[in-house]
Amino acid sequence: MAEGVHPIVSALDGVAAPGRHGRRTADPGVTVSEVRGGGLALVTARRGARAALAETVRVAFGVALPEARRTTEGAELAFVWCGPEQWLAYCRSAPREGMERLLAPLIAHAAIVDQSHGRTILRVAGPKVREALAKGVAVDLHPRAFKTGDTAATLVAHIAVQIWQVDDAPTYEFAVARGFAQSFWDWLESSSAEFGLELVGNTRTA
Amino acid sequence: MTDPSAKTSPGDGGAGSPPPCGEGSGLGVAKNSVRESHPTPNPSPSRGGGAARMRGGESWRLRQGGLVDRTSAHTFSFDGRGYRGHAGDTLASALLANGVHLVGRSFKYHRPRGILTAGPEEPNALVELRSGARREPNTRATTAELYDGLEARSQNRWPSLKFDLLAVNSLASPILSAGFYYKTFMWPAALWERLYEPLIRRAAGLGRASGADDPDTYEKAFLHCDVLVVGGGAAGLMAALAAGRTGARVVLCEEDFRLGGRLIAESRVLDDQRSSDWVARIGAELAALPNVRILARTSVFGAYDHGTYAALERVNDHVATPPEHEPRQRFWHIYAKRCVLAAGAIERPLVFGDNDRPGIMLAGAVRTYINRYAVAPGRRAVVFGTTDETAQTLSDLARAGVSVEAVVDPRAEAPAGVEAAAKAAGARLVAGGAVMRATGSLHVHGVDVRTAAGETVHIACDLVCVAGGWSPSVHLASHKGARPVWSERIAGFVPDTPPAGMGVAGAANGDLGLADALAGGARLGLAAAGDAGFDGQPVELPKVDGESTGLTPLWRVKGTRGKAFVDLQNDVTDKDVALAEREGFRAVEHLKRYTTLGMATDQGKTSNVAALVLMAELTARSIPQTGSTTFRPPYAPIAIGALAGEHRARHFRPTRLPPSHRWAQEQGAVFVEAGQWLRAQWYPQAGEADWLTSVNREVRTVRERVGVCDVSTLGKIDLQGPDSAEFLERLYINGWKNLAVGKARYGLMLREDGMVMDDGTTSRLAEQRYLVTTTTANAAKVLQHMELCHQWLWPDLDVQFCSVTEQWAQFSIAGPRARDTLRKVIDGQHDISDAALPYLGAAELTAMGGVAARLFRISFSGELAYEIAVPAGHGDGLIRRLMEAGRAFGIAPYGTEALGVMRIEKGHVAGNELNGQTTARNLGLGRMMSRRKDYIGRVMADRPGLTAADRPSLAGFKPVDRDQRLRAGAHFVREGARPVLASDEGYMTSVAFSPALGHWIGLGLIAGGAARHGERVRAYDPVRHGDVLVEVCDPVFYDPAGERLRG
Repeated sequence: MAEGVHPIVSALDGVAAPGRHGRRTADPGVTVSEVRGGGLALVTARRGARAALAETVRVAFGVALPEARRTTEGAELAFVWCGPEQWLAYCRSAPREGMERLLAPLIAHAAIVDQSHGRTILRVAGPKVREALAKGVAVDLHPRAFKTGDTAATLVAHIAVQIWQVDDAPTYEFAVARGFAQSFWDWLESSSAEFGLELVGNTRTA
Repeated sequence: MTDPSAKTSPGDGGAGSPPPCGEGSGLGVAKNSVRESHPTPNPSPSRGGGAARMRGGESWRLRQGGLVDRTSAHTFSFDGRGYRGHAGDTLASALLANGVHLVGRSFKYHRPRGILTAGPEEPNALVELRSGARREPNTRATTAELYDGLEARSQNRWPSLKFDLLAVNSLASPILSAGFYYKTFMWPAALWERLYEPLIRRAAGLGRASGADDPDTYEKAFLHCDVLVVGGGAAGLMAALAAGRTGARVVLCEEDFRLGGRLIAESRVLDDQRSSDWVARIGAELAALPNVRILARTSVFGAYDHGTYAALERVNDHVATPPEHEPRQRFWHIYAKRCVLAAGAIERPLVFGDNDRPGIMLAGAVRTYINRYAVAPGRRAVVFGTTDETAQTLSDLARAGVSVEAVVDPRAEAPAGVEAAAKAAGARLVAGGAVMRATGSLHVHGVDVRTAAGETVHIACDLVCVAGGWSPSVHLASHKGARPVWSERIAGFVPDTPPAGMGVAGAANGDLGLADALAGGARLGLAAAGDAGFDGQPVELPKVDGESTGLTPLWRVKGTRGKAFVDLQNDVTDKDVALAEREGFRAVEHLKRYTTLGMATDQGKTSNVAALVLMAELTARSIPQTGSTTFRPPYAPIAIGALAGEHRARHFRPTRLPPSHRWAQEQGAVFVEAGQWLRAQWYPQAGEADWLTSVNREVRTVRERVGVCDVSTLGKIDLQGPDSAEFLERLYINGWKNLAVGKARYGLMLREDGMVMDDGTTSRLAEQRYLVTTTTANAAKVLQHMELCHQWLWPDLDVQFCSVTEQWAQFSIAGPRARDTLRKVIDGQHDISDAALPYLGAAELTAMGGVAARLFRISFSGELAYEIAVPAGHGDGLIRRLMEAGRAFGIAPYGTEALGVMRIEKGHVAGNELNGQTTARNLGLGRMMSRRKDYIGRVMADRPGLTAADRPSLAGFKPVDRDQRLRAGAHFVREGARPVLASDEGYMTSVAFSPALGHWIGLGLIAGGAARHGERVRAYDPVRHGDVLVEVCDPVFYDPAGERLRG
């Protein structure tokens, strides 16, 4: 997707200022960054086409289609299970031609719908990340229960989110409907305040 | 002992002088207790002395022992007077250390009340804590942790605690008995709200709410574990240790700020260690285990299905104000695979005459104040107990230097242990006797004791220790409905079969002995971990000294004079229970509601059992037959703010913002909540006096030039798959198979019952791809409906669909100059002429130099109009570009009000008409109902009642006097008919001022609908005093031929 003269505006632009929020601890307990310019598409298997879809995904993108509650990551694309017969195809840098075109090889076996602009993706890490997230995420994020490559669809502060664990640090990513991004940020900021939150990256201020 | 102050008269508020300085006794009282300067616990202000009105030292603090930090000095105030205490004190222990026993007035009779307990079951010592917006009524002094600067006030007294005018209620007690309010204030009903209720609320009730916004924050959090241990006493500590050592994830919740339960309240020896030291050792081991989390100051207050528990952590109740960024309290949702309930037991007082006098305390509480807080709660004690623990009480009193005047044991033959302890304490033992009545008013100063021989003797004292046995805290085991069972052995209710996943250990299970509690906790902790998948070795049990836990219950002393309270908090006496029985309220649940027994903050923790045993006696039923009241969460009072957490005010629910929100803010738009969305309602310009002026301007701008409105909030559903058209056929009443690629069509869908569910346009983007749109309000509902239909009704259809509402920013460009404006935004290679993109055309193209866009020629306003969509991240850019492009044409943004005006002018139905009670026919859309296919709602829409000619159906309405304003909600009645329900013919659903027509117009549903055009009816609106004669007309007020939108 080509860029026009107007830049893509994040739902958090002018809302979440980069830098420190909450307690001024020496090191932030929670670090947050927005994954901007990423590509996201919903892949829904056509009726009875799951096996064929999995095979096509493997051949075309060199990655296995994940089982329920799991993610898989290939060189170009990651897949996040998000419901029965549904996955999010995700790349942290959107392809020039757009997600629907990139995923066109799958079209016989799945409906492909670009959601790159429909979700705000936030990456959350830091030594106190689990304590902060426990204030809204009902899913057990203890390492015995939720590991790298795990994903869950849940509600946080009454907002539907998809969460997945990126690494053992642990780092999590949240996909939140764009319209709710500000409310989600409000929750994340207040939940992290006692630990100190650092918003890093290129989020612009007003 | 010839202390003159012991002869204080009733009403002097005095507990007498401080106790002797404890020479020769083990603990003794602090040497700094100078009698002359502290003659009474509540001296008159003139005797307070000192600029700070600070009382001197803590005269009743024992010289050594206890778990308070003597190196710390916390100053605090009670009713404006300064006192001193230590870290580790509760407000109650600190007040007692300063000789203050009188702390409140009772609920109904305004009787002076003191401190009965040392824990959360306290019925009497409720105070207002803090001041200003942080004022917190009904705080239990026995759980309020002392901090430096604490402010507390007594409640329910006027003008002062010592002199309370409403104490006259006590004289009126013959008429203030149970059911008084119900009987007396019944009639006339009109006086209830204006007179009776305010009066009663002033006279009764407890503390006052601050009335101001709570300045503190609260939060919610989730916690998962293998084993939840509720209670950090002997059983709980062993359970946590046994489970923790297996590696299981253990959460130990203790409502106190210190672990130990009775182990820190008694002086016991475990493994040759003092019990408090043993607790510290076990606590340290638990704290060192990475898989164990100890939550102190945390009450588990509810048990729910599937191992879910609710708990409240008082994170910062023990400081004056929470540190920045920290909550005051935290509400935990705990998910536990297994639970060990080790909540302990609550001691019961005894029912005798005037048993509510300050200075009458539970024996267990007295031991707590002595052992844990190093406070002597009195100087001369009478012990009145039915349990073998009296021996322990006597030994603790003796070590604290409290003289024991008498031991009254109702058992004809007191157990040997009690007898020996009485002898050791030098106390007179009255076996087979009873305390008949306490004397004194603001403080107890003696008791009338009836001996076994039937004589009554008066014994002077300033402390009465009462012990009526223990009631296990079975609440959490009963929250899911299981009734506890009666145990004769302990004369109390014990859990029957605890809920799945829960084990009950220690005193909560009726195992009152320490060795049993330790063993039970260790066993259940290990079993719980095992059930959760973690095996380990049994924990070695500490060696303990033995104790006797025998008792013979005494539920009520008979033949007493004075009020014998069963429920101290609600001022319910034994006579009230008898009255309830006489008046037929014999079931325990009726007893509770009739007398209020067991209600309010303590929920009858110290009173319920005695009350129902009295009822059992009165009705000659057994205790199991009489039963217990229902245990419901919460176990302890919970601030509503804690349940709300951060979801208050603006954060009550999440806000959903459309892509142009920031730009609209810059324009100074006024916003309106549309479901969760925040939408621009109108855009006021300088000089516009009111909303109507702005809205009229916006409407005229669209009708004459061009306007732009963010319509991203409408639901957008991407539908794909070979069976998409068939899917639409079944969902909508109208046909879809002949809709060409690149075309849009209006559709209407019904519910199963034939009523209209939603409407919107659907565009065919490709052979097997559609974009379905819904109203803003029904976006989620329609998607759910489609999911249900696909998964449940027609799983054979090969369709895939999902919401793309958030993916696309969509703007309506409406007005004669809409195309001219768009021409400057759509990339040049795309032809958007009327020929290329006629009315109801849909195209995928690019805008703003290569941004993917969709353009739909659809119109809600009735003007030449388009909706343009771009990926949401470009929405902000697009609105700015559109405004720039339209400037030369006089473009203006318009909000939901103008949108509404124009749709009413055009007679388009919206949410007010799609109200769940209208069919397609009622809305004038019956001709859309296809006869060539089946669809959801078809059959039910043909029910006779729904097709009747007099069904309220859509029509337009205009005031006969064009200057009159219409109101939505007004009901239609025929001219000359009486405006009563029987003559109701329907109501006005939507109204607007039409700038084009220059008067108010309305849409409404009226019996007969279209058949009545031209008729005049009354629009009657008694709520707003409206009564307007209106003319029924066609609902399309503006451009009925629809020429403008094809321009």
